[in-house]
Amino acid sequence: MSASDQADPALVKRIEECLRQPTYFRDILDATRDQKYRAVLLAWSDVRTRHALERDEHGRYWRPKQA
Amino acid sequence: MAARRTEEDRRNEDFRGMLARMEREGHLRRVSKTISPRHITALCGQAPSAILCEAVEDYDIPVVGGLYWTRDRLASALDWPVAELGSRFATAVARPLSPVLVNDAPCQEVVSTGDDVDLTTLPIPFMHEKDGGPYISGGVAFADDPELGPNAGCYRLMFRTRREMAMDLFTASDLRRYYTRTYERKQLLPVAIAIGVHAFEHMAAAYKAPAGLNEMEIAGGLRGEPAHLVRAKTVDVMVPANAEIVLEGELLPNGWTADEGPFGEFAGMQGDLKHNPLFRVGAITHRRNPIFYALQMPWENDWLNGPATEAACRRVLGLAGIQVAGVRATEGGCCGWSVVAAIKKRAGEGRNALAALLSLPVVKQAIVTDDDIDIYNPDEVEWAVTFRCQADKDIIILSGMKGKHVDPSVRPWDLKPGELPTTAKFGIDATIPEGIPAFRYERIVPAFRSEVRLEDYL
Repeated sequence: MSASDQADPALVKRIEECLRQPTYFRDILDATRDQKYRAVLLAWSDVRTRHALERDEHGRYWRPKQA
Repeated sequence: MAARRTEEDRRNEDFRGMLARMEREGHLRRVSKTISPRHITALCGQAPSAILCEAVEDYDIPVVGGLYWTRDRLASALDWPVAELGSRFATAVARPLSPVLVNDAPCQEVVSTGDDVDLTTLPIPFMHEKDGGPYISGGVAFADDPELGPNAGCYRLMFRTRREMAMDLFTASDLRRYYTRTYERKQLLPVAIAIGVHAFEHMAAAYKAPAGLNEMEIAGGLRGEPAHLVRAKTVDVMVPANAEIVLEGELLPNGWTADEGPFGEFAGMQGDLKHNPLFRVGAITHRRNPIFYALQMPWENDWLNGPATEAACRRVLGLAGIQVAGVRATEGGCCGWSVVAAIKKRAGEGRNALAALLSLPVVKQAIVTDDDIDIYNPDEVEWAVTFRCQADKDIIILSGMKGKHVDPSVRPWDLKPGELPTTAKFGIDATIPEGIPAFRYERIVPAFRSEVRLEDYL
C-alpha cells in the first residue's frame, strides 16, 4: 500500500452511476462490496474532487444533472 | 525499587502501554481474524470488551475501539478505582501541571509529506448506517493562538479526499473561536490531529477547561506527571509526543460551507447534515507500527466526559454546603444529562442538592438519595425513589432552563437561526422525608448472615 496508488477509473465510474439518484454513503459501500475498502475510498476521493455533490437533509449524495 | 519503577512506568504510560494493561486486566481482547473497516463498529458494539483488530483488510495498521465504552473500561484505562472517577478528576483539575516539551518523539518516527500524504493509507472506518462517510472519531485537535494560547479539543473529521476532511466546528468551542479569528482574516489555521493518545490526554482534551488553562496542563494533573509534547513537523503546534498518529495541516478559511455529517452523535441519535470548515492535511507522522484508534459512539465519547460531570456535581454540591457521599453520571443519560447523588442529608438538603445539580447546564434530570443507598446499583436507587419519595411533594420541575439542540424533545427545528433552546428539568428527592424516623426504613437482614459463606454450599 502506498500513497502513489491511484483510483480505479472503472470504480470511479460505478460510484458516479450510483450517484445518479440520492444515495447514502453506506449504499455506495454496499454497491462496491466486491472492491477493497481502500479502493472505494480512493475512488470516492476522485469523485469528490471532480464533482460538487449535492446533499439532502438525510445526508444522501447525488450528482446534479449537469455535473 | 521495583514498586517505584512501576509507579514511574504508570505515570509515563503511553497509549499502547495503556492497551497492554487493559488487556492484562481483561478489558481488551485481540481479534486476529481479518476484518473490513466497514465492520469494526458493529463488532465493537457486540464485544464484551474493547477490541484490537490486528488484521484490517487491505491495511497494515491495526484498529482499536471500544476503550471507554463502560465505566469499568474507562476506570481500567485510567487505572483509577471505578467509584472515584469524579473525585479523582476534581482533584486533578485543581492541580494542573505544565507540559514538558521534548525534541525527539515516537510520534515522529515516520514522517510523510508532500505527495506521500494520503489519508486512504489510514484505516478510517465507516461507522454508522447513515453517516456521511468514514470518520476519524477519536482524534484530538491541537491548535495555538498568539493571544488565546494553546488549545486541545475533541472534534470529529469526515473523510472527503486523500488530503481533505470536513471538521465539525458547528457548536461553540475554543477551536471554533480560534477558527473564527483566522476565518475573518481569510487566513489558514494550523491544526494537528493526534490519534491514539492516552486516556489522560484524551479526557483532558474533552474537558471544557476554564479560559486561560491549557488542557494539557489538566492532562498533567490527571497523570500526576507533566504531559510530554513535541512541536509538529510542519505546523507550529505542540502535540503529544507519544501519540500513535498525527495529521498535520490547516483549517481552510472556507467557513461553514463544506458538507459534513450526518454522524452518530454523542446522545445516541443520528445527527443532521451540517456545513463546516475543511481540514487540509499537509503531513502525516506516526510511530513505527502505529495503532489507529476508532472511538465508538456514543458511550466512549460520553464516558470521557462522565468524570468531569461528576466532578462538576461535587463542586456545586460543595458550594451549597452539602456533604457528598457519591455522585454517579448514568450511562442512559449519556454520562451527564442524568445524575444520581448520595448525600449526608440535613433537613431541606435533598431539595437544595437538586437545585444545585439542575443548575449545571448539562444536567437535565437528577435523583438525590441518602448515603445508605448504593448509587451504583439501579435497583437500590429505584427502591429509594419508590419508598422515600411522594411525587406531589418530592419532585421538582424547573421550566425554561438552558437546553441543547441535540435533544429532540426541545423541538430544535422550530427555532429561528441562532435561537437557543430552553428545556424543562426535573429532580427527584429520594432522601428520607423530614419527620419520618430512619427506623421506618430498617432493612431486612438474613439471620446469622456472618456465619454463612456461599462457597461452603455452592
